[in-house]
Amino acid sequence: MTAGGPLVEVEHLVVEYRSGGGLLQPVHTVRAVDGVSFSVARGETLGLVGESGSGKTTLGRAMLLLTAANGGSVRFDGMDVFRLDPPAVRGLRRQMQIVFQDPYASLNPRMTVGAAVREPLTVHRLARGVEADARVAALFKEVGLDPSYASAYPHELSGGQRQRVVIARALSVGPEFIVLDEPVSALDVSVQAQVLNLLADLRDRHGLTYLFIAHDLAVVRHLASRVAVMYLGKLVELAPAEALYANPLHPYTLSLLAAVPTPEPTQQHKPLVVVGEATSAAKPTGGCPFEPRCPHPRKDDRCRAEAPAWHKVDAGRWAACHFVEEPLRPE
Amino acid sequence: MNALLRVRGLRTSFKIGKTVARAVDDVSFDVLPGETLGIVGESGSGKTVTALSLLRLIQTPPGEIAKESVVEYEGVNLLELPTKELRRVRGAEIAMIFQEPTTSLNPVLTIGSQIAETLRAHRVISRRNAAARTLGLLRRVGIPEPDIRARHYPHQMSGGMQQRVMIAMALACEPKILIADEPTTALDVTIQAQILELLADLKRQLGMAMILISHDLGVVAGMADRVAVMYGGQIIEEGPTATLFAKPAHPYTEALLQAAPRLDAPTTRLPVIPGTVPPATRWPAGCRFNPRCRHVWDRCAAEAPPPLALPSAQQARCWLVDEPVRRKA
Repeated sequence: MTAGGPLVEVEHLVVEYRSGGGLLQPVHTVRAVDGVSFSVARGETLGLVGESGSGKTTLGRAMLLLTAANGGSVRFDGMDVFRLDPPAVRGLRRQMQIVFQDPYASLNPRMTVGAAVREPLTVHRLARGVEADARVAALFKEVGLDPSYASAYPHELSGGQRQRVVIARALSVGPEFIVLDEPVSALDVSVQAQVLNLLADLRDRHGLTYLFIAHDLAVVRHLASRVAVMYLGKLVELAPAEALYANPLHPYTLSLLAAVPTPEPTQQHKPLVVVGEATSAAKPTGGCPFEPRCPHPRKDDRCRAEAPAWHKVDAGRWAACHFVEEPLRPE
Repeated sequence: MNALLRVRGLRTSFKIGKTVARAVDDVSFDVLPGETLGIVGESGSGKTVTALSLLRLIQTPPGEIAKESVVEYEGVNLLELPTKELRRVRGAEIAMIFQEPTTSLNPVLTIGSQIAETLRAHRVISRRNAAARTLGLLRRVGIPEPDIRARHYPHQMSGGMQQRVMIAMALACEPKILIADEPTTALDVTIQAQILELLADLKRQLGMAMILISHDLGVVAGMADRVAVMYGGQIIEEGPTATLFAKPAHPYTEALLQAAPRLDAPTTRLPVIPGTVPPATRWPAGCRFNPRCRHVWDRCAAEAPPPLALPSAQQARCWLVDEPVRRKA
């Protein structure tokens, strides 16, 4: 295994959904993920940001084989995960875990949270009996929960505690890579900060690699070293976090940043309000997907006719915009 | 200036079996004509129950608004008004929009007919005039092609467009106060920015007052003239927006501001507030924030602080106002 090389490599990944197809209804194909390529280095946290319908969750699920891909490849530690046989997939699932937004929906209401954390240990035959009990207690402590909570049911815990249980369960099989899909979006601000700090601690302690999916750029900034921005199934920008926040190259990234409200009444910037809403991924225009809403003053016929290529702009910086050389600047 | 809405000692509780949840417990505030009052707080702090109580939209039982509570609108206590007269205030004088437009819109009626119905419920207006005014309202809230959109059903519209419809419906009778309960929480940031701008524009044009409820400090910072921070069913701090954000008086406000991830702060560890919000059935004795407060001393658990005024026009339910030397660095 190559140390320092990418742990996960995604190439030209395509995921399609079919809708319609009922009586008298034509079948529509929606490209939820449309030829996405990127890699995640060992030990890094890559933030994946986008609004609803951008395809970020589908992308995360396809990488973990939870949604079937229609094209492209995902390599984990050099292995092409779409070509593994079932026993190998089982082994892979120990190394790749996922944490979802709503911990209430990901826990069985009739199972104690201790049993929920113990289950993967049994399924993967990692521990049993008293050894499993000890592992569960250790995992609870690791995520900042008193082991006495193990006998509680999900409804007896708060949202933050439930999300800690879900994180403990993901950790139980000793994964290398965790997809965090909006892990703090359902939590209150004060609890959100606790869980974000916990995720950072666990990453540093176990050398974990994260794909951190979120709609909130401010949240992502606290955890990610690099950030990718997705719009209607395509990546529009990828850059080291600092560079992306200080100097976004894609007009969509700039629009997103400008739309985040600041808790600073005296420094209210005039928000750059993007007009309109995302068109549906079901109706590709042939041009740049962001063109109908793009605030760039130089946008022209080319933007409408030709989709900009995903290309390397600078060291570590990628973008898909015809005007990447003359980006819009924040006021 | 005389307050348009004067709330005093509002208490709303819910009976669940034998336990009583005191969801709103002694809340007082004023809303002046044309101003925006922001109410911020985390889930379970009582902000939505406060808003619902103002218009008596609390289901009774299990809910109950205490008899001594006062919600005075233009000199009349809404809590004592006969239901028939209260209906004339709801919608026409004080309108409300909610977080989830889908649950507030009737799925089997076109949006045009729903807006026209609101108009006809409160005004003597012909069908034709109601239809014409509906188109004007849809245009005003920025819905493109209003004549086509008026014939659409809610499910044919995006969340942002549905929220615009809700706003159009709320504005139909030109209310003096708009209560907006998390109006943009279910929306994407770029759409949120559009809706907030729309609300600010409409408020300027119509001169109406607004109560904006949000968990998002950023949203409130950009919109409100004054802010009330809720915790444990009470307003624990209130003051002019700029002062409150610059110099929060209550340790909870301060901690909340620090815990919020933001785009312009260093990306080091976020300061956290230990513990969680207690349930409304078991508020701690004394100051409700005392078990989580870093400045806590014996007085805090023994005595509940009343709202204490500061020279900065702020007021806070915190003994630190009395004994500032206790504040830890």
